[in-house]
Amino acid sequence: MNLKTFRGGIHPPENKEWTRSMPIERIPTPKSVVIHLTQAIGAQNQPLVKVGDRVVKGQMIGDVQACPAATVHASITGIVKKIEPAPQSNLKDGMAVFIEADGTDETAYMPPLDAFVCSREEAIKRLRDAGVVGMGGASFPTDVKLAPPADKPIDTIIANGSECEPYLNIDYRTMIESPADVVEGLAIAAHIVGATRAVVAIEANKADAVPVIEHEFQQHAHGMHMETVLVATKYPEGGEKMLMKAVTGREVPSKGLPFDIGVICQNVGTLKAIKEAFADGKPLIERGFTVSGGACKTPKNLYAPIGTVIADLIPDVIQMSDDVRKVIFGGPMMGITVPSLQTPVAKGTSGILFFTAAESKQFEERQCIRCGRCADACPAQLMPMLINAALLSDDLNRADAIGLVDCFECGACSYVCPARIPLTQRFKLGKDLLRNQRAKEARHGK
Amino acid sequence: MENNTMKLMMSGAPHFVTSYNIQKTMGMVIIALLPALAGGVYFFGPRALLVTAASVVSAVAAEFLFRKALRRETHVTDLSAVVTGVLLALILPVSSPLWMAAVGSAFAIVVAKELFGGLGGNFANPALVGRAVLLMSWPAFMTRWSPSLHTAAVDATTTATPLGILKLGGTITDVMKSVGASGKSALYLQMFLGNRAGCIGETSGLLLLLGAAFLVVMRVIDLRTPIAMVAATFAASWLFGGDPVFSVLAGGILLGAFFMATDYVTTPVTPIGKWAFGIGAGLMTVLIRQLGNFPEGVTYGILLMNVVVPYLDKIIPRKFGFVKPRKVNA
Repeated sequence: MNLKTFRGGIHPPENKEWTRSMPIERIPTPKSVVIHLTQAIGAQNQPLVKVGDRVVKGQMIGDVQACPAATVHASITGIVKKIEPAPQSNLKDGMAVFIEADGTDETAYMPPLDAFVCSREEAIKRLRDAGVVGMGGASFPTDVKLAPPADKPIDTIIANGSECEPYLNIDYRTMIESPADVVEGLAIAAHIVGATRAVVAIEANKADAVPVIEHEFQQHAHGMHMETVLVATKYPEGGEKMLMKAVTGREVPSKGLPFDIGVICQNVGTLKAIKEAFADGKPLIERGFTVSGGACKTPKNLYAPIGTVIADLIPDVIQMSDDVRKVIFGGPMMGITVPSLQTPVAKGTSGILFFTAAESKQFEERQCIRCGRCADACPAQLMPMLINAALLSDDLNRADAIGLVDCFECGACSYVCPARIPLTQRFKLGKDLLRNQRAKEARHGK
Repeated sequence: MENNTMKLMMSGAPHFVTSYNIQKTMGMVIIALLPALAGGVYFFGPRALLVTAASVVSAVAAEFLFRKALRRETHVTDLSAVVTGVLLALILPVSSPLWMAAVGSAFAIVVAKELFGGLGGNFANPALVGRAVLLMSWPAFMTRWSPSLHTAAVDATTTATPLGILKLGGTITDVMKSVGASGKSALYLQMFLGNRAGCIGETSGLLLLLGAAFLVVMRVIDLRTPIAMVAATFAASWLFGGDPVFSVLAGGILLGAFFMATDYVTTPVTPIGKWAFGIGAGLMTVLIRQLGNFPEGVTYGILLMNVVVPYLDKIIPRKFGFVKPRKVNA
């Protein structure tokens, strides 16, 4: 079979079988949640509530008059206990609203809105009011993504069902369990941007989701304009730029954005959230994620309110083994380790992995032997070994010239490196250094 | 609960790493060299093993002691010193004194590799540097060739290599006589099998290609450089009016192309650089053979190209996202 794909990439162990067949469980409403005011790329939100206020599930509690920014909402009904900084899965430890449940089940959702009848502006406003962000991990505000500049027409929208990160199954389960929501969300998103082609892209290891989704196409008024595309099982197939290349053959230009090539990509979970924002008036206040890893005794897929603190799930929902050493929010390739179990689930949390000491082994970094595996693996078709050499000799200009900023930090080079060089990690640091240097040059040069 | 006191480890993504490492890479190169080494034993007798042992032991000991002396971490378990030791042995005559093999590989490790920072820091292939130094220091030992034990034609204890015969004014017919071949195709066959005078591991194209095929299958080596080097040798020797097939089978072209010109550290990483390196090394080899004083030029051909690797590594291939802008149909 000739599967669509991109050049480069790696085949790490998938470790998906632990949670692949586990239906997504809804956790009992937690007694308290910690909701960070700013959970998306963009401006810092201001709280709309005060300590002591009673908030209702679905009520907006954080906003800022800026673009891009994504609103946040109370995910349970209860009393605001405090508003202060709290551990955050992106390690920014920003301001958070602590809500204690009062035991009632009241909700304050918006009225339903027909995306196919309302104006484009109304639709975009609905997405903003619902606080929908990309749920694949990047947390980019969806209302911004679906409102590209007028001179950048969009012809294709891709539902990202690739889920190439090992361990994670939440996108797969979402497609299997809520295909109608995914297809409706895709139809809405396609309608908003005026795309004529709507594609659900699924990795070959999840091929059984294809008939499920295609069956839903038949039920849907716009389904005849939709198609599924089976892409190769390879990391990082689900990376936005890689998936666009695989499905459309187009490359997002360096330093450009997807709308430059007329394509928009949305995670299947985001599409479900889009559907709920319109059909149910429900803001993004809960999400699904996979719980797994060698130190997790209860691998499963969960739905939990945004702000659910992991420590509160232990041991009733999740049990860890004693040798847990690392807790990762996200997948093993791009996820972020958190220092504390007091970290809450965020809008971008696709998985929570518990790794044992053996899985967290650190290796001695050796000198690069220039074997070239990183270059073979790099989906950006960079030469990581040369960028590494430039960074090691503090030559930021050289690193920049050979594509440092074109690295999208997928981690493939670090994964394959036989010398155990933390390439991705070094490139992230290098980008920061380069940004600082450029800023300094701009200050002194003019 | 006790979770509050639990220490969690923080680290940057990715949190996943392949089990493949330097040791496995080097291990595969060693495995790939075993057929050629076995061929050396078959064609030149068990002394080939002694020379190899002397070279390997010296290489490993030199690396270990040098790094110990400098109070640096030792890395002999990565097997790279073993690879250097085996490679050097394979490009020595079987009659080499054991002490000479040991000196050569110690020089290769300490001067060519460790003084430049160890594995990954060296700019020139250590085994080839070792051979070049031995060739300059003890030319008599380095040009004392034994015939293959399986060549019936001659009963001399020393002979000349096919390239040596030509350099001394001999003809292809003289070479045929030296390996006991009756015609050109028989000569090619004997040379491809390895039944001729030469360095321990360089003679058998068959066994070298067998090892190289293993490395290709295991995705250890890239074929661009060896193909370019063999093709350049073929073409250049043909332009010089030589026998191109003979040129490729003679001397150390195949060993050099598949095992020296594919050395990660001392050859380019860029695709175009790899082609250029191979072409350059093949061309240099033929020029040395045709115009130089030495019958064989693979060692210097590759070493000379090692020097220009930093320039070849500047030829960066097209990066993702560097395409001409698509026409947007409004």
